Amino acid sequence: MIEVNNLHKHFGKLEVLKGITERVEEREVVCVIGPSGSGKSTFLRCMNLLETPTAGEIRINGELVTDPKIDINKIREEVGMVFQRFNLFPHMTALKNVALPPMRVRGLSEKEAYDRARDLLKKVGLEDKANVYPSSLSGGQQQRVAIARALAMRPKIMLFDEPTSALDPEMVGEVLNVMKDLAKEGMTMIVVTHEMGFAREVGDRVLFMDEGVIVEKGTPDEIFFNAQNERTKSFLSKIL
Amino acid sequence: MSLLVSYLEHAVAVFPSLLRGAVITIEVTTFAIFFGLIFGTIAAFGKLSKRSIFKVPSIVYIDFIRGTPLFVQILLFYYGIPGLITAATGQVFRIDPIIAGIVVCSINSGAYNAEIVRAGIKSVDRGQMEAARSLGMTERQAMKDVIMPQAVKLIIPPLGNEFIALLKDSSLLAIISVHELSKNGMLYVSKTFAAFPTYISVALVYLALTMGISRILAYVERRLGVSDRSE
Repeated sequence: MIEVNNLHKHFGKLEVLKGITERVEEREVVCVIGPSGSGKSTFLRCMNLLETPTAGEIRINGELVTDPKIDINKIREEVGMVFQRFNLFPHMTALKNVALPPMRVRGLSEKEAYDRARDLLKKVGLEDKANVYPSSLSGGQQQRVAIARALAMRPKIMLFDEPTSALDPEMVGEVLNVMKDLAKEGMTMIVVTHEMGFAREVGDRVLFMDEGVIVEKGTPDEIFFNAQNERTKSFLSKIL
Repeated sequence: MSLLVSYLEHAVAVFPSLLRGAVITIEVTTFAIFFGLIFGTIAAFGKLSKRSIFKVPSIVYIDFIRGTPLFVQILLFYYGIPGLITAATGQVFRIDPIIAGIVVCSINSGAYNAEIVRAGIKSVDRGQMEAARSLGMTERQAMKDVIMPQAVKLIIPPLGNEFIALLKDSSLLAIISVHELSKNGMLYVSKTFAAFPTYISVALVYLALTMGISRILAYVERRLGVSDRSE
């Protein structure tokens, strides 16, 4: 479903990604872990071209998205993204946050879009917050709205960039539960996260990144309990 | 006592003329606000653009206008440019002072507005554009539906200050004999030498006008604040 081949990304002189090659199959849930500055967010952001790769190829469903001639917006319609800081639109209600993108991008009628948005808010357990503005929602609620908003585009792939890192501990669970449901429905997901419980329960594979490369990969249990690489071990000893 | 009475008499006598002047002042300011907003918005987007055919002219415009006095710009536009055209074509070319005043004030105000609009757009969190783009919205859609509605709330207060400055600065148009508020005061003084009562009256009329603008802006800010639940 996603094929990444020798992906490089430079920011000026700084080389953040130093040749990433990886495949993600349909319905697979892949968790990416690694220290800050290891390039894991950049890797994720390259998938929907929020960062333009310096070199290398990314194919999504066989389509070469790194081709400069490709319509970026078409790719992004298929690839949903959830951010660490939620990035809800503060001047719109939760419902409108979810309804606006499919109206603008997919050309849905207002009624279709709002019906879809209501269904999605229900799915993330926030149907009673439809008419509330983001600033009146807790972090966990905001993140669930953000997930609903991404889902409103009916993406085939969902990218999560540390979705629980900005949350108070008591709100992490509600967001992870929504993500677990998604995984069980068969959504293809790439999740940058340090939530080991989540990775073990729904993750098919874990990638450990450091200094712009994938250092080690394997099943969650292999990585978390039987890491082979010294850097992986040292990192895990700090977070577990 | 008699001094006070004579001052009051002058204030009353000059008042109709000041009101006529105030109408011109309001007229010039209103047009200049309108066109200044258009120029300012275009220049702001030009300066934000990555393409140098838009960026460079915008920067030159903003820097030239902000780096030179309005007084000199008025002289240049009203005397300098028609003089140049006259010399070049051999035909006498003149501009109506009010039109010249509106044009110069619009161009001048536009440069300041550009920086206000640009700053407002820039201060909307980067994540907003990223979120919109990640959902497949085009840059234009994101600008219209996501960035601008948030930027406008940041832009309105400093823009209000700019409008007030513009109204006061329009007094400089007296030099090209636009019969606005200050000019009419000066004309009355030249006939009567009653400088104090006249100019204090002029000042008070300006004060009334600027307070009026403040009121309107406070109202607009309140209206926009209705949906302002952010942060």
